[in-house]
Amino acid sequence: MSSLLDSEVKEILDLRSFLTFDLNEQTFAVPVESVVEIQDMTAITKIPNAATHMAGVQNLRGKILPVIDTRVKFGLPPVVDTVDTCIVVIDMEVEEEKVLVGALVDAVEEVISIPATEIQSSKSIEAKFDLEFVSGMFKQDEKFILMLDLNKVFALDDDNKVSVDNIKQA
Amino acid sequence: MKEEDLIQLRNIFMDEASELFVKIEKNLLAAEQSPDDPTLIAALFRSIHTLKGSSGMIGSKKVTDFIHNLESIFDKIRSGMAPLTPEIIDCTLQCMDHVKVLIVDPELKKDKDQTNDQALTDRINQILSGSAKWATAQPAQTQSAVGRHTYYVYFKPHAHFLKDGSNPLLLIEELTEIGDTLVYAHIDMGQMSDYDPTLCYTSWQVVLSTDEPMSNVQEVFIFTQDEDIKEVKLLSNEDLLANPRFVQRMPKPELGADLTQEKIHDIIKGLEQEVEPVETDSATKVDAISNIRVASTKLDELMNQVSELITSQAALSLYAKNHFDPNLEVIADNMEKIARQLRDTAFDMTLLEIDHLFTRFHRSVRDIATQLDKSVHFVTEGGDTELDKTIIDNLADPLMHLIRNSLDHGIETKSIRAQRGKPEKGTILLKAYYSGAKVYVQIKDDGKGIDVEKIKQKALKNEIIKESDQLTDKELLNLIFVPGFSMAKDVTDLSGRGVGMDVVKKNVLDLRGDISVESVLGEGTTITIGLPLTLSVIDGLQVKVHDTDYIIPLGSVEKCFELKRSSFVNDFNQVVSLDEQQYPYIDLRGEFQISEDNAPVTNSIILVKDHEREVGFCVDEIVGEYQAVLKPVGKYYRDQEFVSGATILGDGKIALVLDTNNLISKKHNNLKLAAS
Repeated sequence: MSSLLDSEVKEILDLRSFLTFDLNEQTFAVPVESVVEIQDMTAITKIPNAATHMAGVQNLRGKILPVIDTRVKFGLPPVVDTVDTCIVVIDMEVEEEKVLVGALVDAVEEVISIPATEIQSSKSIEAKFDLEFVSGMFKQDEKFILMLDLNKVFALDDDNKVSVDNIKQA
Repeated sequence: MKEEDLIQLRNIFMDEASELFVKIEKNLLAAEQSPDDPTLIAALFRSIHTLKGSSGMIGSKKVTDFIHNLESIFDKIRSGMAPLTPEIIDCTLQCMDHVKVLIVDPELKKDKDQTNDQALTDRINQILSGSAKWATAQPAQTQSAVGRHTYYVYFKPHAHFLKDGSNPLLLIEELTEIGDTLVYAHIDMGQMSDYDPTLCYTSWQVVLSTDEPMSNVQEVFIFTQDEDIKEVKLLSNEDLLANPRFVQRMPKPELGADLTQEKIHDIIKGLEQEVEPVETDSATKVDAISNIRVASTKLDELMNQVSELITSQAALSLYAKNHFDPNLEVIADNMEKIARQLRDTAFDMTLLEIDHLFTRFHRSVRDIATQLDKSVHFVTEGGDTELDKTIIDNLADPLMHLIRNSLDHGIETKSIRAQRGKPEKGTILLKAYYSGAKVYVQIKDDGKGIDVEKIKQKALKNEIIKESDQLTDKELLNLIFVPGFSMAKDVTDLSGRGVGMDVVKKNVLDLRGDISVESVLGEGTTITIGLPLTLSVIDGLQVKVHDTDYIIPLGSVEKCFELKRSSFVNDFNQVVSLDEQQYPYIDLRGEFQISEDNAPVTNSIILVKDHEREVGFCVDEIVGEYQAVLKPVGKYYRDQEFVSGATILGDGKIALVLDTNNLISKKHNNLKLAAS
């Protein structure tokens, strides 16, 4: 019965849960539903000649996990490996296929729940970051937390455009 | 019977039947070329007969009746009472298609199938009644089993038997198929110095126990010449071969004894004098099972588990090595050996001959060519080349598309071919062969080729290229693989059937393969698809470049050398001298843009062969052999085509598997561009 009650309460308040993490002293949030797990940053194998934000691949219990350096993706200098650095493993759907992708972040903070009504659109934020990847924001303890648009952050780079260079490589 | 039981039965039947269908089609098409070949006809009859038998399983009288009629036709042909005409072949092919429909839908709900059913039944009846003037055929399969008899069969082909390509073994094999046999081959050669390899010196003595009448045994030799000596004698009205004491007394077949009929009679007499032992050995007649059917999902599971095992084993080997425990190392080495054998065996099970695919195309080519009123000679080579079943499954569509293209737009009509002085019959060659660690599948036609100029015009119109771009003919040809390059008929010689060449290319790339096209205007087009042997586990050479491990497929590695880095790295010609020969090389440090700072003084150069090209790969050091369980690196790295996958090393680190062919092609193109 209690669980039923919980969900009723939740429905009224429409609480959303997020995992927050830090990047360059700014806190970001991603919906917990998309987060599979959090990994330490261990041996990452870099794949040569890839885009700079592609940090490499990691062994996730026998699976190959592509890892994206979120800082580089946002136009910041690359992540420096500290004790706090970790990889947020995110469940994505890319081109109608489920894939796991790792996001390198400075530090993971906590899981928070906030009512949907408190989320604002991102239009009004002063542009310290490339806002292309931000889908909204909310305020917590006098601090603004930016919500990431995962589909944009971890989209495949669109270089399917046909160019002569591509053809010559073929 | 319950509905689901029926469905299950039908599935089992379909499983078996589909194999038979393939066999029948293949033999029919072969028979089209040589309609008098008795072995083909016999094989056809047997397949159809088996099909009839198992069709009883699904309890559809219609199917059984239908096939029964076909069987009657082939029985007549088999007994030499009717010729195998093209009409019969054609009719049988269509009947096979119809039977497939009948199995799924016995009530024939579609009108189209109904009319087809009637038409085919009429055709069969016509063929059968047309045979009225043939001698009255023996009713098929009516000789009831009157118990087994044992015959003595002596067959001595005349010396020149082999000259016309006849194979006496096939006849002997046929004997073994109608009953239990003991076969003795006797070689009567005389002087070794007079030996002529084109002559047949062998004669056969066969003890055959069967329930067929003697006439059927004699029928086996119906197609032999008069000069061939063949005798069929009744030895006994019992099944002597079921008598272990008889078999025991017979000489061993491999001794090459000359077993005359008299000798056998002696043995039989000896037997009769002996007191029959009371016990009857019931275990003598156990048919050994040589093949079993396994669901392909089980094979996939097995391969996955083998992959896991290999990864764990690599971890064990590394641990043993690092802990200097000789006992553990021996165990780990043993494990590695077994894991490797297990991998090979499991892997072998998932391989299929590409012939499975080719057979399908024979039929389609025949149909499409008739439709288009073109005359095509469709040749396949290398059907015994083996590939992973997943690859074969996924190769069917792209290959079919390419073959259709060749038929539709490559091969010209008969009249045009005649005008151009080409043989009226066009040729399409479908060929598979191994080279290095890859299998190549080639489709070659002698049609009109692709007009590069037309491609250029179209590409300009579609703004795929600019007027200022300088493209070689090969690059222009490759434009046909570009998405968005319309295949409209008025523009290129390639199909406009909805699925474009870009889809073909994508399908091939998904299999970690590559595709290339060559064409000479007026002379024909060749499309070559390169495919990996397997999608799961490969033998590789583990190498290091900077701090990253790479795996180079061992199958393509020719030789390894060591060289001082300074001696070649700045060489302007980009060649290295190895074994007094000059080879182009790819410096992986340079290729991967790694700084020269910590480059070792001595480098290893691995000579890799790919498709007739030999190129040196320069790496920091060679670590050793490694069995790599291939895992995809995923879509995020799809632009890094030179990485065909990744594998997990014993210590949990990841090594990248290099696609050497891709690197070589890229290098090759760059060199060419620089030269132009």
